[in-house]
Amino acid sequence: MKNLLEHTGIEPGRLHFSWISSAESTKFVDVVKKITEEVKALAETKKYVKTSTQG
Amino acid sequence: MTAYTDKIRQIASKLLTEGKVDMVIGFRKGSIPMMNQPLFIKTPGEAQELIWDSHCALNLANYVTNRKEKIGIVAKGCDSRNLVTHIIENKITREQLHIIGVPCTGMVDRHKVSAMIEAEITAIEESGDSIKISGNGFSKELKKTEVLQENCAGCTHRNPVIYDELVGELVPEQSGVDPYASVREVESMSPEEKWNYFEDLISNCIRCYACRNACPLCYCPTCFVDESRPQWVGKSQDPTDVRTFHLLRAYHCAGRCSDCGACERACPMGIKVREFTKKLNKDCLELYGWEAGLTVDARPALDTFKADDPQDFIK
Amino acid sequence: MNLIQIDAQSWAKGIEKLKAVYRTFGPKKEKNDLEFKELQAGELPELHFQNTRMSPKALVYPQTQAMFTYSLDESREDCRILKEVKRDEKPQAAIGIRPCDALAFKLVQRNFDSREYQDVYWINAYEATTLVGLACDHPCSTCFCTSAGTGPFGEEGLDVLLIQQNDTLYAKAITQKGESLIQAAGWKSAAAKDAAGNMDALKTKAESEISAFVETDKLKQKKIMEIYEAPFWEAETFSCINCGTCTFVCPTCWCFDIQDETHGKSGVRMRNWDTCMSPLFTIHASGHNPREHKYERVRQRFMHKLKYYVDKYNDGIQCVGCGRCIRSCPVNIDIRKICNKMNSFDPQSCSCEVASS
Ligand code: SF4
Ligand code: SF4
Ligand code: SF4
Repeated sequence: MKNLLEHTGIEPGRLHFSWISSAESTKFVDVVKKITEEVKALAETKKYVKTSTQG
Repeated sequence: MTAYTDKIRQIASKLLTEGKVDMVIGFRKGSIPMMNQPLFIKTPGEAQELIWDSHCALNLANYVTNRKEKIGIVAKGCDSRNLVTHIIENKITREQLHIIGVPCTGMVDRHKVSAMIEAEITAIEESGDSIKISGNGFSKELKKTEVLQENCAGCTHRNPVIYDELVGELVPEQSGVDPYASVREVESMSPEEKWNYFEDLISNCIRCYACRNACPLCYCPTCFVDESRPQWVGKSQDPTDVRTFHLLRAYHCAGRCSDCGACERACPMGIKVREFTKKLNKDCLELYGWEAGLTVDARPALDTFKADDPQDFIK
Repeated sequence: MNLIQIDAQSWAKGIEKLKAVYRTFGPKKEKNDLEFKELQAGELPELHFQNTRMSPKALVYPQTQAMFTYSLDESREDCRILKEVKRDEKPQAAIGIRPCDALAFKLVQRNFDSREYQDVYWINAYEATTLVGLACDHPCSTCFCTSAGTGPFGEEGLDVLLIQQNDTLYAKAITQKGESLIQAAGWKSAAAKDAAGNMDALKTKAESEISAFVETDKLKQKKIMEIYEAPFWEAETFSCINCGTCTFVCPTCWCFDIQDETHGKSGVRMRNWDTCMSPLFTIHASGHNPREHKYERVRQRFMHKLKYYVDKYNDGIQCVGCGRCIRSCPVNIDIRKICNKMNSFDPQSCSCEVASS
């Protein structure tokens, strides 16, 4: 999934996978924080955004 | 390769005469150059229509999906690999098939040949390794190796992987070819360049879905692009929707694609749609050591779980 | 009508002048093939080609066309009110269109501009368009226009016909629209007296180069149900993969599908080309599909073009013989062969029809 998206030009760091058990609340918080930071760092995406139906 | 024609006719006629199969699926000569047409025959008399040359590039496995008859089928290396996948995926049973294996030396790229000449090509002949094209006021000799389909040039499974009989001696498999050269080229680009590369690649796609429909793997009763409840993807020419189609088509072929090139051949716009599927083929090979359709005895890579499957994408 | 002679220089000048008045389209190189595209400043239409890959129908009838926009925002006064999308109706000119493709607009007009139904999108775009044809001096081996109601020098549907001889172009205005275009381009030097005779000779030569034909004379008298139930359909349609390429490239295929696409609280009502080759074309909300099988869909395409249309309008087939569907079909379904089969079909002797090709 990740590989082909990145291969076709989606920046690495936009798509993340993680395995978190329902008991691992702290891991969840950490991961979400980290992802949010990484994605913010990439700025708003211009790619893969559909504009033709935005009135 | 044309010597196979006689043998194919002979086998087909025998199978039908003896009642071993209900139909034989093969190719007949098309009405325009480089375009042979898949057909079925049901009587020995029709066997004369069957032919073989370097324009039999479509994948005949596409025509046996969910059929109930006993079928004789002409199959080159890639067709046979898709027959294997069909058998694994219960789209046909091994017992229903009599596979007439064709050791293959590659198919001619019709898009490439047409692009080489400004004028219309009205005839094409081949003998051995040379191809002669001609038209109004010109004629030109080409080496077959120069005009092979890209997937054929890099093919390492030219001989059928399963068959009941062969129409000729097995051919040597190619070694030292790199089927993934173009994937590597894209891999070395920046995200921006990659994005633009694929934007340009599919810019003239008309969403006819010939690439999907020519593919033996695409047999879902309703394709996700055709679903309307819910509608997963828009139907217009919006580039986002076009790209979504291409990405998802590729994902659905992951670990199943034999790189037969039928999609690319079928595309009326000459789009190199294999650039999507090839990346996944390469990943399957590198991550799981898997190539699709080589044996009916193993479950596909994406169909199994092993404790040592690579998982460094999970953080 | 007077022949006008245009040399290379005044051709280039004239095309630039046209761009000021018309959105000017012409065949342009697009990745190994030619397509009709808008000509930018300094660009000339390609004149040495057989035909464009896609038909120019999209100039009047684009593959995707926004018709209305709407809002679903309850706080807005215009919530749920469809608003027409403003269309660019500036005059446009298609330079270098082939006679077959020009005639196709006339055929399609029967559908979009009839007494019962007026499709303003199509009609307005068509009326804003001037068709400047280019006679074919070297028709393709798959062209069968002379047996499909036109010819390499066919004039019906065109506003101007251009004929190429060596480096000189000759222009013949066919309609008032065409006259105005020629004026706007400033082409006015009358051709020499013998030019008309030369053009006739070129025409005869081009017509004699057409090597493909279809027989259509008996289609009308055939019984619909007899052809419909003919045994050849299964075998002849076996290779078809139902991609719809044939209908997309065809200048005379006119079917579309209307869709609403909503994004958040706003949306667009649009129409997209549709194709009778897709199972989706006929599937009912109940899930029932009256054209469930592939052969039924392929049969529909040919029955429509070569029988229903023939019966309904009594003016030939719904095909102009451009040969695109033959060239583009990935699996070599050939309308010439099917047409001849339909035309010669005799239900009394059908058993041998099945076996022969
Ligand atoms: S066959 Fe070509 S044009 Fe048709 S959907 Fe596939 S890529 Fe697009
Ligand atoms: S006839 Fe050919 S182009 Fe048309 S839908 Fe069938 S396969 Fe596609
Ligand atoms: S049916 Fe085929 S040959 Fe006839 S107008 Fe359409 S694309 Fe051209």
